[in-house]
This record gives sequence, structure tokens and C-alpha cells, in this order.
Amino acid sequence: MKPPILITIMFTMVAGTTIVLTSSHWLTIWIGFEMNLLAIIPILMKKHNPRATEAATKYFLMQATASMLLMMGIIINLLHSGQWTMSKNTNPMASTMMTIALAMKLGLAPFHFWVPEVTQGIPMSSGLILLTWQKIAPLSILYQISPTINPNLLMPMAIASVLVGGWGGLNQTQLRKILAYSSIAHMGWMAAITPYNPTMMILNLMIYIIMTLTTFMLFMHSSSTTTSSLSQTWNKTPLTTALILALMMSLGGLPPLSGFTPKWMIIQELTKNEMITTPTLLATTALLNLYFYMRLTYATALTMFPSTNNMKMKWQFNTTKKMILLPPLTVLSTLLLPLTPLMSILD
Amino acid sequence: MLKIIIPTTMLIPLTWLSKPNMIWINSTTHSLLISLISLSYLNQFSDNSLNFSLLFFSDPLSAPLLALTTWLLPLMLTASQNHLSKETIARKKLYITMLTLLQLFLIMTFTATELIMFYILFEATLAPTLIIITRWGNQTERLNAGLYFLFYTLVGSLPLLIALLYIQNTTGSLNFLIAQYWVKPISTTWSNIFLWLACMMAFMVKMPLYGLHLWLPKAHVEAPIAGSMVLAAVLLKLGGYGMMRITVLLNPLTGQMAYPFLMLSLWGMIMTSSICLRQTDLKSLIAYSSVSHMALVIVAVLIQTPWSYMGATALMIAHGLTSSMLFCLANSNYERVHSRTMILARGLQTLLPLMAAWWLLASLANLALPPTINLLGELFVMMASFSWSNTTIALMGTNIIITALYSLYMLITTLRGKQTDHVKNIKPSFTRENALMALHLLPLLLLSLNPKIVLGPIH
Repeated sequence: MKPPILITIMFTMVAGTTIVLTSSHWLTIWIGFEMNLLAIIPILMKKHNPRATEAATKYFLMQATASMLLMMGIIINLLHSGQWTMSKNTNPMASTMMTIALAMKLGLAPFHFWVPEVTQGIPMSSGLILLTWQKIAPLSILYQISPTINPNLLMPMAIASVLVGGWGGLNQTQLRKILAYSSIAHMGWMAAITPYNPTMMILNLMIYIIMTLTTFMLFMHSSSTTTSSLSQTWNKTPLTTALILALMMSLGGLPPLSGFTPKWMIIQELTKNEMITTPTLLATTALLNLYFYMRLTYATALTMFPSTNNMKMKWQFNTTKKMILLPPLTVLSTLLLPLTPLMSILD
Repeated sequence: MLKIIIPTTMLIPLTWLSKPNMIWINSTTHSLLISLISLSYLNQFSDNSLNFSLLFFSDPLSAPLLALTTWLLPLMLTASQNHLSKETIARKKLYITMLTLLQLFLIMTFTATELIMFYILFEATLAPTLIIITRWGNQTERLNAGLYFLFYTLVGSLPLLIALLYIQNTTGSLNFLIAQYWVKPISTTWSNIFLWLACMMAFMVKMPLYGLHLWLPKAHVEAPIAGSMVLAAVLLKLGGYGMMRITVLLNPLTGQMAYPFLMLSLWGMIMTSSICLRQTDLKSLIAYSSVSHMALVIVAVLIQTPWSYMGATALMIAHGLTSSMLFCLANSNYERVHSRTMILARGLQTLLPLMAAWWLLASLANLALPPTINLLGELFVMMASFSWSNTTIALMGTNIIITALYSLYMLITTLRGKQTDHVKNIKPSFTRENALMALHLLPLLLLSLNPKIVLGPIH
């Protein structure tokens, strides 16, 4: 894609999300979502193959439906509260519709079916934007309407998301689908804590974005899209191998890495709110996630030469893809746990 | 406490910056020096524990375990030199780094005051151990072994996290030194039963309890020698230590909840000892004997009498040294014959007489010969369980007999009899190996002269 066009499209996408983040009028929020959606379609279709077209179409249909549901919720809210600002969303019907619309945008179960297929059909760098940047806008709206969300709606969706994210990823070997299911599971954790302490949702989102950015960039660096091609990274860049090991453990939520911090904080907040079985269920099903991350780790780092491998060796070209801020991000995604008291700045 | 933690952390840059022919010498020497520092904590006051800061403390229960952990690192490094000799220098340094990192987490775990910090470090010990087992183990089964190890422990310990956070909400603090004075007795309601289960299952899996012990033979057998040593000697004791700490918060419910686990432990003790009599794999035999000894510790901790706590602590230290020594001996066999099958390397007494002496002493310690602290521990636990219920003497007595049986079986199979033809050209014992065995055995024998230091917080 020619640079001026790419810049324009990227700018529109960023502008769309920024409009969502900074508006107080519901209509401009909706406009921001639409700008974001329309701008990301060309990015999803960077490579012109039928798979990418299918992925972009699915994404568009899903997000457009969600936007329409959101508009319906906005109009009902307007009908009952008489104004367009974000402050009073107390009508349960409007709140329910908005929650469901945002769940469709995020890929929470039972609206998660588009996430693996869309993520698989697009190139890695577009997948990166899809799974990190696109989550910011809906989660910010979820943050703002969180006092009025019905927990009886959001908690089952969250628990179902963690379950689906764990079980669905078990049978995958394609890295993009694995990351898609990982995204579903993490969205489930974020949705679980939103009715009780939205600050923890922001913490989880930040740490999740840092870890997913690093994961995508490490995968792009070794140009691998499947598990078996990931097993060649020891030959290309041995350091990447060790980093993927640490990163997968961090994504799985193993202490003492930073991926444990959001889980710990979320469990703490849920227990403070007298919920015991929910965090137990969430924590135990997160172990399913850990299982397929461990499988990736085994393929990458722990079964190296001289154990045999079925893949042909890769050419050792220098990578041409842009790795923005990879070293700091790697450090942040693994070593942040001792700095947990710092998150009091989020209050 | 920092005077141990910072030197241990600094062992990692020491390893990476040493010259290639100096890595083993540097790391072994300096870790020996660190273990000398930790011995100073054995001098405990009788009225309270050594309180270093808000984060770390050391009391008569954790000081011997700390000394055991720091003593074990130089031994692990000494034992690993042979099987790593063919690896590239970077991989050797990585191995030493993993061992040092594990050591660091273990030191901090044994001295943590805040129970959440204990939990985080307890989980943190899993990652280096997993890497050591799956990367440097020798057979393909190591992958499965690593997964079993990781997931058994994690499924047990996630409810522990939730239980700890719940206790923090209700009691106000999880700092162990404070919480033991603030704790209220908990009654027998369903939710308290689940709280008790959530707190204890993590440590039961780690010990391991008989029904949940499936990960242990896999992990021990597939791990390289340093992995086996640290698993048997220290990581199992994490479970015992955790149980002893957390039962303070769980009275008087433990009196009723303990029955199923006591039954499982008493029966499992006999079952795993009996399985040892039918093992063909040497490391598997030692692994099952670990389960059997740890079942005694579980019985002791669940009975909760002063004598049983003393016996449990002594047994943990004694078993740590003995089991680690047995794994080193088995590894010296493995490095020569490249097989763990016992009958493939028979009749070693005529070929390696000094090693046979070490085998004899280690097996005698394993079967709890007087006056070793193994006997002290077992005796105290037996007496405490007899006073708890008279019938347990039958099971305990049977266990002692079967322990003696399999220890002697191991001795006879590996040492006596006619040699197989292919062992006649094995290399003689290295000085390194003899030094390793001596360094294991010397603390064990010296402790029988002054067992007071390993008897724990009640004496």
C-alpha cells in the first residue's frame, strides 16, 4: 500500500478511536466507532487474497451489526433520559443493548465466533492491530457505563469467554488462531471485573496489550505463522526463543511474571466483593490457556537441536519488518510484577 | 536476609561473565560461601523468631530448610558437571542460571513473612524446574513429565490464592507473624470446609499425597540429576513447610477435616513402599520412596502435636539429604551404564568399593538406622501417631519393615552378586563424585550429634 494512503487510513483509524475515547455525546461515540471500522477494512485487506476478503467481510458485518445495536441502545437511552450525554444510562433495556453491542465488538462469548476466523485470514501486522488497538474503544465505553451494567448479564459472558478461549485454543496449531482465542479469554477476564472495579480492567488491558504486542512482533520477526515453523526460531535467533518462552509463561499468568499481576488483582477484587466460586472458575479455566502456551513453548524453546524436527530449515535473512520498541516491551511484559504497587496511580 | 539474596542473585552475572573453564569453579565456590552464611541463622532464640524486616524472617522451622537449600546448590552444580560437559558454553551457563534462579526463589519462599509473597514465590519455583526438566532431561517422556508437574501443582495452588485473599479480607493481614495472633477459630460450615480444602490442597499435591502423587515419579525420573536433587530435597519440603504454616490459621477445623488425608497418607505410605519392591528403574524406586517418607510428614503435620511437628521437621531435613544422595548415587550409575534399569549394573562392589560404601551408608540412612536424624524423625512421628490412635502402630511398623526391605533390595541388586559383562570397563569413581557423596553424608551424620537444630519450633 502506498505510504500516503496508509498514513491516511491509519490516521483515520486512530482518530476514530480517539473520538470514542474523548466524547461525551453518544452520537459522536457512534461516529467514532464507524470511522474506526471503515478505516480498518483496508488494513485487514493488505494482501488481496480471498481469505483476507472473507475475513474483512466477516469483521465488517459483525461490527456493523454491533454498531447498529449500540445505536438502538443510544436511542432508547435518549427516549428514557431525554439527553445525549454519557452520564445517566439507567434504563435497563438501553444498558443491556449497549452491553451486548460492546460484547459483540470485543468478541466475548457467545459472540466470539468471528475472532479466530478474522484473525486467521489477515496478515500478522493487521492481526496485531485487530487484537490490541481495536479493543481500546469498546472497553473505554464499557468502563464509562460500568456502574449501570447488569452483572447478571456480563458475568456469564465473561465466564463463558474464559471457557471458550481456553477450550477453543486447545486444538489449534496456527499461531494467529491461538492468539485469537487468547484474546477471547483475556477479554473474559476484563469483562469479569468491570462491574466491580473498572480500574483493574484498565490494568488488565494495558498489560494484555503490552504482552500481545510483544508476542505478535516476536512471531513476525521469525516469520512464523504455525507452531511447527515456530520451532525453527532457535536456528534463526536463539534469543527470540528464550523471549518467547518467557512471554508465553507471562501470557499464561505464571508468577513471577507480569501476566500474573492482572489475574491476581482481579481475583483480589472479586474476593473483596464476596464472590468466591467465580474467581475459582476463572482461574482454573485459565489453566487451559496455559496448556496451549506451554505447547508453543515446548515447540520453540524446550525441544531444541539435537532433537529431530520435521520442518525444513529456514533461510537466515535479516528481518525487514518493523519491530517498534521490542526490547522495552519484552521487559515490560515479563518483569513488571514487583512494580504492582505502582498501579495505585491508576486510581 | 539480603546478605543471602543479593549474593545469590549475583551468582547469575558471575556465571555469565566467567571464563569458560572457570564457570563451575566460580559458581560452586561462591555458592558454598553463601551456604556458610545461611548456617548462621541456625542460632535461633527460644522466645521468638529472627525478624529481619517486614518481608523476611527466619524461625527454627525455616532456618534448617534454608540451610538445606543453600547447601544443595553447590552439590547440584558438582553433580551436573559430567552430563553437561558436551554442551555449548552458553547452554551450560543457562543451566547454572536456571539452578541459581530456582535457588533464589526457594530462599525467598522459605523466609517470606507475607503469605501472598510466599504464594508468588512458591509458584515461581515451578518455572525454572520445568525448564530444567523439559530442556535437559534425557528421554521423550520428559515433556509429559513437565506438563504433569506444572499442571498438578497449578490446579492445586490456584484455590490457595483465592483462599489467601479471602483470609486477608476477613482477618486483615496475611503477615504470618501477625496473623497467628489474630486468627479466630473456624467452625465446621460448608464454606469453611472448602476454605480448608483450598488452603491445603496445594501443599498436598506438592508433598505429594498418595492419590495425587502421579506427577512425582514422572518428574523425578525424567529430570537431570540437578533437577532430581532439587525436586526431592527441597521442592517437596515446600509442601511440608507450607502446611505447617497454614495450619496455624485453620484450627480447630483441622481436627475433623484431616481424617481422609490421614487415611490416604497412612495407606499410601504402605502402598508406595510396596511398589518400590517391584521397581526395575532405579530412579523410580527412589522417587516412590520419597512419596513414602513424605506421607509420614503429612501424617505428622495433620496430627498437630508438638512431638509430631518436631518429627516432621527432622524428617524433612533428613529425607532431603538422604534422597538427594541416593539420586546422586543413581546418577553415577546412569552416567556409566546409560540406563536406569537396576539389573543392568550389578555387582558394583568389587569394581567401585568406595562408591559401595556410600551406597551402604545412604541406604542405611534411608531405612532410618539409629542414630541418624531419619530415625529421630520417624520415631517422633510414630510415637505421636500412636498417641493419636493406637492402631496406626501396625501401619507404621509395616512401613518401617518394607522400607528396610526395599533399601536392602536396592543395595543387593546394585552392589552384590556377579557383575554383568558390560560393566567391567566402566570408569572408576571420580574424586568429584566421592566429594559429592561425602558432602551429602557429612551434614547428616553431624546432625545426629546435635539434632536440636533441626527439631523445629517447638523444642
